[in-house]
Amino acid sequence: MQRVLLVEDNEMNRDMLSRRLRKKGFEVDMALDGAQGVKMALSGAYDIVLMDMSLPVIDGWEATRQLRAAPETRNVPIIALTAHAMAGDRDKAMDAGCSDYDTKPVEIDRLLLKMNTLLASR
Amino acid sequence: MSGDVARTLSQDDVATLRHDLRTPVNHIVGYCELLLEDADGDGYADRRARLQGSLRAVREALDMINSSLAPGGRDVTQNDIDALYERLREPQARITELMSGILEPREAHDDAGFVEDVGRIRHATEQLVAVQRPAAVVHTEIASSGVNRNADAIPAARGTILIVDDEINNRSVLERHLNRQGYDVTCAGDGESALAEVRGSSYDVVLLDVQMPGMDGHEVLQRMKHDVTSRDIPVVMISATDDLSTIAACIEAGADDFLPKPFDPVILRARVSACIEKKRLRDLEVDYLRQVELVAEAATAVEGGTYEAGSLARVAERGDALGRLARVFDSMAAGVKAREQRLQDHVADLRREMDEARRHVTESSEDQHADEGALIPGEMFANRYQIVRVVGRGGMGMVYKARDRELAEDVAIKTLRGNGMTDDPTVLERFKTEIRLARRISHRNVVRTHDLGEHDGAYYVTMEYVEGITVRDLIDMRGHLSVPSTLGIAQQLAASLEVAHEQGVIHRDIKPQNMLLDPDGVLKVMDFGIARLAQHTSTLTQAGMVIGTPAYMAPEQLLAEEVDARSDLYAAGVVLYECLTGALPFEGTSPIALIAKVLHTVPSSPSTRNAEVPLPLSGLVMRLLDKEPAARPGSARELRELLAEVG
Repeated sequence: MQRVLLVEDNEMNRDMLSRRLRKKGFEVDMALDGAQGVKMALSGAYDIVLMDMSLPVIDGWEATRQLRAAPETRNVPIIALTAHAMAGDRDKAMDAGCSDYDTKPVEIDRLLLKMNTLLASR
Repeated sequence: MSGDVARTLSQDDVATLRHDLRTPVNHIVGYCELLLEDADGDGYADRRARLQGSLRAVREALDMINSSLAPGGRDVTQNDIDALYERLREPQARITELMSGILEPREAHDDAGFVEDVGRIRHATEQLVAVQRPAAVVHTEIASSGVNRNADAIPAARGTILIVDDEINNRSVLERHLNRQGYDVTCAGDGESALAEVRGSSYDVVLLDVQMPGMDGHEVLQRMKHDVTSRDIPVVMISATDDLSTIAACIEAGADDFLPKPFDPVILRARVSACIEKKRLRDLEVDYLRQVELVAEAATAVEGGTYEAGSLARVAERGDALGRLARVFDSMAAGVKAREQRLQDHVADLRREMDEARRHVTESSEDQHADEGALIPGEMFANRYQIVRVVGRGGMGMVYKARDRELAEDVAIKTLRGNGMTDDPTVLERFKTEIRLARRISHRNVVRTHDLGEHDGAYYVTMEYVEGITVRDLIDMRGHLSVPSTLGIAQQLAASLEVAHEQGVIHRDIKPQNMLLDPDGVLKVMDFGIARLAQHTSTLTQAGMVIGTPAYMAPEQLLAEEVDARSDLYAAGVVLYECLTGALPFEGTSPIALIAKVLHTVPSSPSTRNAEVPLPLSGLVMRLLDKEPAARPGSARELRELLAEVG
């Protein structure tokens, strides 16, 4: 079973997305802020990380940079999730090292397609 | 709310509002879809219809938000925002209505998870139009001078910033921008209060206006850079003028960057975040260097014997190479400390055994019967040393305690039999070379050799005087020694051999008579460098005269083959055997019989002679006694490590 780390500070978003992913057969763990996300991801236990960008403690961009700098997580796919939908958001996320980017509200099928593509290419 | 309905919102305000509005939309979409997935089956037609209706409504709301607040789109005014909120009320009302009816059937209440999720959708729907509009953001009034911390600071701030500007409007605009970007902002209206604020605080950036009444920005900057508590805080100068020379002077005085007024929010954001990143990296570097220093201090503490295990715990938590170094260092230091503690315990045992021995022995050491040709107490020797008393007699000569009149200290003098000691200048030169090497050995377990001299045609060596008893005396008094005492001697003997061998000096005559124990149980090995002479003196060939005893000599030494460090290790093995059992491994009725045994027989192991000797220690002694040098431990250092393992 593929293991997903969902880094998201908003409780409802976490609840929603984790339930939907579990229904689709993923094993989902959750981190509540960027620092916790980095710590958990560094365990090397995850196949993919879904990262909200506006996070407390350290934000998603910084968390992504840290994960990219660590050998354990250098190659783990990270999908940035943001509700901002700013013109530069996608570039900013990709610059930080995200493998892909998606906006909220999450369209589950679109997200799954992105996740599966990244997981298949590992 | 602002009365200026035509006011244009900044891009930041628009982005924040878009984010705030899309969040409840996201929740409504997500939970509706979740519940739809579960509402499979004929009994759920009404539920499905309501959820699908809500999804349609919320998607309409999303389209409204996206079209009114498009990223990078046209300017947005307060009017536009008010219009958007009015339009959102329609889909909001529709979802509220659909959701209130979804719990109508009684059975719906049986599914607690379903009821909870519907509650979440309703809550998010209420949030949709309740979202605070940008103009309604309460702004903290700032005093014209002094400092006022913004009460709306975001808890997990991205950084702390001090704005120093005498113009209230400038401060206010900057503060709002920076607050929006998630910074914790404090304002100061003049130079004096700015300096008071930075002292002892940990700001990440100071934005400093150049032109201020009283103390201007230039002076504030200079003072900050002269104060150790504030000189590392990055400073961005704010200047309304195009006066490049002022800006250049500020940069020269230590400012990190400058911001022209009126400022562009994009430039503001970029420069502030660049400064904060720079400071973060510098803080990390400072922290790293401080931790490197801690490791270096720990190394000094290990040398000084004051290292406390775990003192590097904070450094050891690091995930990088420095952390690994600290972890390895700590565990090695703990190992060294444990080893030293064991040695101290052994030496304490040894000291107890020495005290015990002294109590049971009558004062016989003062027996001073005259030796033929010996120097008399009080007599001057070589115009420098006043003889105190005889302390030993050996095959090569006498040992005296004497007072060095030149240096006013006690020394030991060993006279080397004068009569025809050697006529061979090559042998004599080699002997002198060896003494020179031995003089370089400075170690607590080695008796320090001072000088080689010649007096009345006879050579003598002066050495450090050690008050104590020889291991020979101790074995004779006690019969044999306890295992811990033997280990105390063995560890110290190995340490002395290690340092001598590293200097290129082979002892060649290790035996209990050459091993002194001072009152603290510290072993001092003497006669390094002297034994070489014995092998070449003519006295060897004198009838009935045996220099030293073959009992401690390795087979290769007896056969006059190549002698190296491992020959000393063999002798150490004999000494340890004798300490543990009170007997020599080989004994013979004549020197020839003894030599034959050394060369051809295997002794019984120490543990068969003394059941208290642990097998690993007994095995190590037997390895030292191996007739083949290659089968013995390779070096004194290796012996020391093996002893640490068995003891």
